[in-house]
Amino acid sequence: MSGDAVEDLLYQGFQGRLLEESLRRMPPSRRPRAATSIDVRAIVIARAMRQTVDGRGDLCCPGPMSPGPALAFGATPLEFLRHVTRKGTSPASARAGGTSWTDLRRGLIGWDGARGTMTQVLAGAALAFAQRGQDRAALVFERRSAIETGAWHEGMNFAAAQRAPVIVVLAPPPRRGRRDRAEIEGVARGYGVGLLWFGGEPLIDVFESVAGARRRAVAGEGPSLIALAPRTDVDLQASLDAFTEWALAEGDRTGGDLESIERAAAAGVDHALGRIGKEPDPDPEEALAAVRTDTPSIRPWTRMKSPRPDGLAGTAPSGASGVH
Amino acid sequence: MSTDLPAQVTRTREGRPATVLEAIAEALWEEMERDERVFLLGEDIGAYGGAFKVTRGFIDRFGPARVIDTPISEGGFTGAAAGAAHMGLRPVVEMQFMDFISPAYDVLTNYIATSLYRGAGPLPLVVRGPVGGGNRGGPFHSQNVEMAFFHTPGLKIVYPSTPRDAKGLLKSAIRDDNPVIFEEHKGLYRAPYCRELLPRDDYAIPLGKARTALEGEDLTIVTYGLMVHRSLEAAAELAKDRIRAEVIDLRTLLPLDEDAIVASLQKTGKLLVVHEDTRTGGIAGEIAMRVNERAFEWLDGPILRVTAIDAPVPFSGELEDYFLPSVADVVTAGRYLFRY
Repeated sequence: MSGDAVEDLLYQGFQGRLLEESLRRMPPSRRPRAATSIDVRAIVIARAMRQTVDGRGDLCCPGPMSPGPALAFGATPLEFLRHVTRKGTSPASARAGGTSWTDLRRGLIGWDGARGTMTQVLAGAALAFAQRGQDRAALVFERRSAIETGAWHEGMNFAAAQRAPVIVVLAPPPRRGRRDRAEIEGVARGYGVGLLWFGGEPLIDVFESVAGARRRAVAGEGPSLIALAPRTDVDLQASLDAFTEWALAEGDRTGGDLESIERAAAAGVDHALGRIGKEPDPDPEEALAAVRTDTPSIRPWTRMKSPRPDGLAGTAPSGASGVH
Repeated sequence: MSTDLPAQVTRTREGRPATVLEAIAEALWEEMERDERVFLLGEDIGAYGGAFKVTRGFIDRFGPARVIDTPISEGGFTGAAAGAAHMGLRPVVEMQFMDFISPAYDVLTNYIATSLYRGAGPLPLVVRGPVGGGNRGGPFHSQNVEMAFFHTPGLKIVYPSTPRDAKGLLKSAIRDDNPVIFEEHKGLYRAPYCRELLPRDDYAIPLGKARTALEGEDLTIVTYGLMVHRSLEAAAELAKDRIRAEVIDLRTLLPLDEDAIVASLQKTGKLLVVHEDTRTGGIAGEIAMRVNERAFEWLDGPILRVTAIDAPVPFSGELEDYFLPSVADVVTAGRYLFRY
């Protein structure tokens, strides 16, 4: 792991923890409805992929683990808050919800719909990487329950059959027993894909394991499945503390360096929290944003300025094709 | 890789007329040669060449990376096509029969159609396959699927009726930046009456533009797909009674060429909509409403429709013949409307 990666992980780990705490403190009316659990293991997994800002790096669907993986792929706390609080400045202009959005330049792809869908989509994206011989892989975070859906199995089956370079992470439910592990191991065996199971292992080991899975995927050895043990079974704060100690012991860093990183992370989150209340709500015109690239949406005729002298509302519907 | 061309893509090169199936195969072949981003996914389209042999021999020329035999999982490979489209490829998904598109309904309507609006960017992909009855295929191999998707903002729907249109529209669909459902009536695939000499040059027909298949002044028949041919037969019958029907072939259902419909109606004052799809919730209802909004004053009679009856497509030949709209039905409706 490079020195930059270590510092990034510390920064994003601190930022994730602070952001999660801030979200918990938000008044219910402003709090995002979607899950905003920030698991430092998810940040580490995402950081083990290859990030770029030119659309040529790896692709990540942060899914239910957002914003952790999104932070690793370059999202800022302010962008995240803009999105989850539906501000007009949000990356999706408040036209889509959930906890993640799409910015293909940075390798982020978002979704808040049915489970399993993104395993299909990321398998196809990974297939495109393989077809072009690119050093790129796809990473998708799904809820653990995705493997109960047909959509997920169709996506996983396609990925395995095509040996697509995709890594699928199953985000844990609050609490599951040993049987759950056996079930996931059976699924991985069934598709002939590797399985990584992460409990409270040192984060550096998590990073190296995922980096290895990524290398194998890009080399054409096929997808990997990652399962995370429930948070209740793992002391994530201890994991982050241990990583911090490791970073101190292994690298050329001082306690002052770490404090500086933590202060910078806190400043970013504080800035986002202070700023979000001042961000504008979306313009209603956004609702008319085109749903196709070449066909404008038209407003309802009852909301057009009336050209009629009798003042009847609206105007005759135009001949322009609208959404339909 | 093989240098021999599959027979179904050589008709135009050899100066011979092509069927609808051959026109579609030519469009796919030429687009794959023109643009390496174009690739195909579907069940049995590679080694087997597809259930209707549209892609026979493609795998020999383009290889298994661009002609992908998928598992039997329409949702899975349509979703994968979306991912590939996100990454700049231009996938063409084949549904073995369009009846099987229903497992992909979720990803098509929830993910693919909403992509641009959600800020996830355009998704240029085509989902094509055979539709339509008359082949004794029964309820699961004979449906028309357009209205299952017509209500979904973000999609385009194309339904050609001739070899020339099939080739030109499919090329446009592949080059379009939006997701396109492309319906091919299997009754037209190899129909002897539906062969055409196609232009040798590369050509594309713009989506969203209807064509006048027959000019007339007494009534307008708006239709598409196989029903264009049934309507033309009916128009010939009506002409014996000196009723001059105009036949408008929609070609693209979404977006709908309202202007063409209204322009024809303003000439004839009478409107008959003919579609093979079932009656309730069929496109005739939408067309009637749009004409009501835009051209009510031009109507000299009720808007009528001739459609399949509201039932699953029957398996028995006798039942299916009764179920499908016939030339006689169109003639009856045309005479009624003319005299109204």
